[in-house]
Amino acid sequence: MPNLNINGRNMSVEAANDTPLLWVIREQLQMTGTKFGCGAGLCGACTVHLNGEAVRSCQTSLADAVGKKITTIEGLSAKGEHPLQKAWVAEQVPQCGYCQSGQIMQAAALLSKNTNPTKEEVVAHMDGNLCRCMTYSRIQKAIMRAASDMRTASATGSERRAT
Amino acid sequence: MNKHVKNLAPETTDLSRRSFLVGTAATGLVLGYAASGIDEALAATAPANFEPSVWYSIAPDGLVTVTCGKADMGQHVASTMAQIVAEELGANWKDMRVQLASNDPKFNDPVLGAQITGGSWSTMMNFDAMSRAGAAGRIALTEAAAASMGVPASELVVRASTISHPKSKKSMSFAEVVKSGKATKTFTADDLKAIKLKSADQYTMIGVSVPQLDIPLKVNGTAKYGIDVMLPGMVYGALVTPPVRYGATVKSVDDSAAKKVPGFIKAVTLDDKTTTTTGWVVAVANTYAQAKKAAEALKVSYDGGPNAKLSSESLFAEAKRLQGLSDSGEFFVKDGDPNAAFGTAAKVLEAEYTTNINIHAPMEPMNATAEFKGDILHIYSGNQFATRSGAIAAGAAGIDPKFVVMHQMWLGGGFGRRLDADMMVPAVQAAKAVGKPVKVIYTRENDMTMDFSRPLTYQKVKAGVDGDGKLVALSHDVVSAWPTQRWGIPDFLSPSVDKKGPLDAFTVNGSDFFYTVPNHYVRAIKNEMAHNATPSGQLRSVAPGWTFWAVESMVDEIAHATGKDPALLRVELLDGKGKNDGGAQRLRNTLLAAMGLAGYGTKKLPKGEGMGVACVSSQERATASWTACVAHVAVAPSGEVTVKKLTVATDVGTQVNPDGIRAQVEGAALWGMSLALFEKATLKDGGIEQTNFDTYTPLRMSQLPEVAVNVIANGEKATGVGEPAVTVVAPAIGNAVFNAVGARVRGLPITAEAVKAAMKA
Repeated sequence: MPNLNINGRNMSVEAANDTPLLWVIREQLQMTGTKFGCGAGLCGACTVHLNGEAVRSCQTSLADAVGKKITTIEGLSAKGEHPLQKAWVAEQVPQCGYCQSGQIMQAAALLSKNTNPTKEEVVAHMDGNLCRCMTYSRIQKAIMRAASDMRTASATGSERRAT
Repeated sequence: MNKHVKNLAPETTDLSRRSFLVGTAATGLVLGYAASGIDEALAATAPANFEPSVWYSIAPDGLVTVTCGKADMGQHVASTMAQIVAEELGANWKDMRVQLASNDPKFNDPVLGAQITGGSWSTMMNFDAMSRAGAAGRIALTEAAAASMGVPASELVVRASTISHPKSKKSMSFAEVVKSGKATKTFTADDLKAIKLKSADQYTMIGVSVPQLDIPLKVNGTAKYGIDVMLPGMVYGALVTPPVRYGATVKSVDDSAAKKVPGFIKAVTLDDKTTTTTGWVVAVANTYAQAKKAAEALKVSYDGGPNAKLSSESLFAEAKRLQGLSDSGEFFVKDGDPNAAFGTAAKVLEAEYTTNINIHAPMEPMNATAEFKGDILHIYSGNQFATRSGAIAAGAAGIDPKFVVMHQMWLGGGFGRRLDADMMVPAVQAAKAVGKPVKVIYTRENDMTMDFSRPLTYQKVKAGVDGDGKLVALSHDVVSAWPTQRWGIPDFLSPSVDKKGPLDAFTVNGSDFFYTVPNHYVRAIKNEMAHNATPSGQLRSVAPGWTFWAVESMVDEIAHATGKDPALLRVELLDGKGKNDGGAQRLRNTLLAAMGLAGYGTKKLPKGEGMGVACVSSQERATASWTACVAHVAVAPSGEVTVKKLTVATDVGTQVNPDGIRAQVEGAALWGMSLALFEKATLKDGGIEQTNFDTYTPLRMSQLPEVAVNVIANGEKATGVGEPAVTVVAPAIGNAVFNAVGARVRGLPITAEAVKAAMKA
């Protein structure tokens, strides 16, 4: 039985190697925050992190995920307090909310490398994630807000370390 | 709302036969309408009978849980209902919670008498009932608190879930009053009606952008949608749908290869007596991945049926043929005699406007989970029309609808798609066939090719202008499939003006505009061929999405033909005379607001750029929100259109949650833009050609224009906001393209090729 490292825990699953990671996460592990949208890597609703990179879990086989660190929306932060999640609430981003786990995971991969993205960088990074409710402008604002909060936190953090 | 909708279930709409109950049950204070007569209502004060009929309850810890009978598909309607209740109840927003109702008729819409969510109706139709429910709770709590404190109820003040007596400085929290067990009061319908509600200047909650209650669940993955339902022993179903949208039959199913797929249980060929689906097979397996593999391994052969050769082209050709017949269709509007007026008009303009098939494609693909438990069929699915969908599920199961319990879930997008009930059929029949709970999930390909789409439409508009340039006559023929007639509910149809029989007003709403035109007719013509080949549905904004495309384009064409400014011609036509009094003035004011905010006509734009206006009274004449748009576009020599800015103004009367309204209006406007420029589905050999987001391409972030939303709240009654802005954008863009480069495009979507061709012409 393959072992998965997901949200910091090791879990054994029972599925064929070619099973899309999406369905293993949703059905076997019953973590339903990761969503099925298109099954073809065209919408981004199923986005999770593999070793910190945003990937489409509908296009990732179970075999490809074994031995890598998987993070889902449930594991992005302990209590849903990742700066992006807070920003998503502050900007009141979600409408139906179905795509938003994927949007947040996609954005988190960007901010983990770059907490000062330009608007163009945000658009280029997020363009593969569809939102049928068309909440795009709020998504942009929330990413900018979270980035700013992360910069502030890290500046405060380094000052503290310095003293 | 069309008048007829009121009669959908008249026996449940008569509030006088019901009684509003307030009492203390074991779980706290519960409030709601009893299902029927006073005797039953009084009997129902016992906790056991009380609980099922509630609108909201207050627990001993002070938490107020509002039960929302509306489908929440992102419009935050549950939160809105809670906000209206909280205003009159006097509850603190942090104490408010929401839950979604089952299909128990007690949760029916107080005006519609059914559980249906659409038409941007919810706020306007529930505002009064939720306000009175909140007020009744406040009165009951206040009287109980007065008794406990030994002070007159009239001296008490209710605020932020606390009832206080300023003179004695005594106070009790809602929690304490509920715990006291003294809040017991029955309100008759007359009592409820007699309650004096707050006036707008007394509001502390209505008009405030409180945080939407469903949002925290939607940023941490815990919101449960239909697709997330897990039941013990549940197995999964994947669909095999035929290449033809409707009318195919299964000739044979060869499951020999599917049997080799691990986990495969059974292939179930649907026997759909509800005629919702045709030629569908469900592969059932232990997991969805296995079910999908098995579905791919099934070899199904079909008889394609009567529609297997049809295409978008044939549907358009049939529409043109029908429009050309003098006795086609039924009249929706008939004022004066347009045909006579054309004879004496100084100038006559004629144009054809078309729209293509559009697909809802909510992000959550269609799904349903069915479980037979004893005599009861349980359905778990996010659905906009529990009343009808429960009946379809019952039909698929061969049982009485009263044995169906619909468990409402959050909807991963609705947009009208989830008014339909097709997903019930495979879930129910698969569950019946394998004797286990089954969750059926459509692939995106199933979802797109089996959509109950926005129908392809063909409209012919003829306008007559007199010697003074005044619009004196307009004839308007609308040819389409009839989405609402398909439901088979006579009360949703409207009588025609010429008494030729009922018509589907949801194909012509909007064409009965607020412009003053002395000679005006609108014919609703059913395209039977399209109706059969592409069973259509209600797509966000429904008919006004195409009728205003035609009307608002034609008004611009008239302006250009008579040398008038298109916006000022609209102001002239919105003179508020006769039947248009009131609505016309509000629409005129909204248009003027949008013009002002956009800087319309105040600056010279660079070459290739233009602004265009449109104004609409969507959804229906009786339920209008007054919405106007100024679109600013840039058109490249290739014909490619870039939308630089959409300025939208909308008069919503009273706004409950301003931030929520802005979100809805912005989303709606972007839907309008997406339909105007990017979304097109086509029929070929009886099937929808587009199968996923590579070929059916809604707007993405990189295509986002600047959107300026301006909400006018003038104290009139609250109107709906989820849809109207969808309808105003396409004509505004089309008119802007004309102003930019002189190209008049009359078909949606507006493609670069069409613009370029029109530039040359």
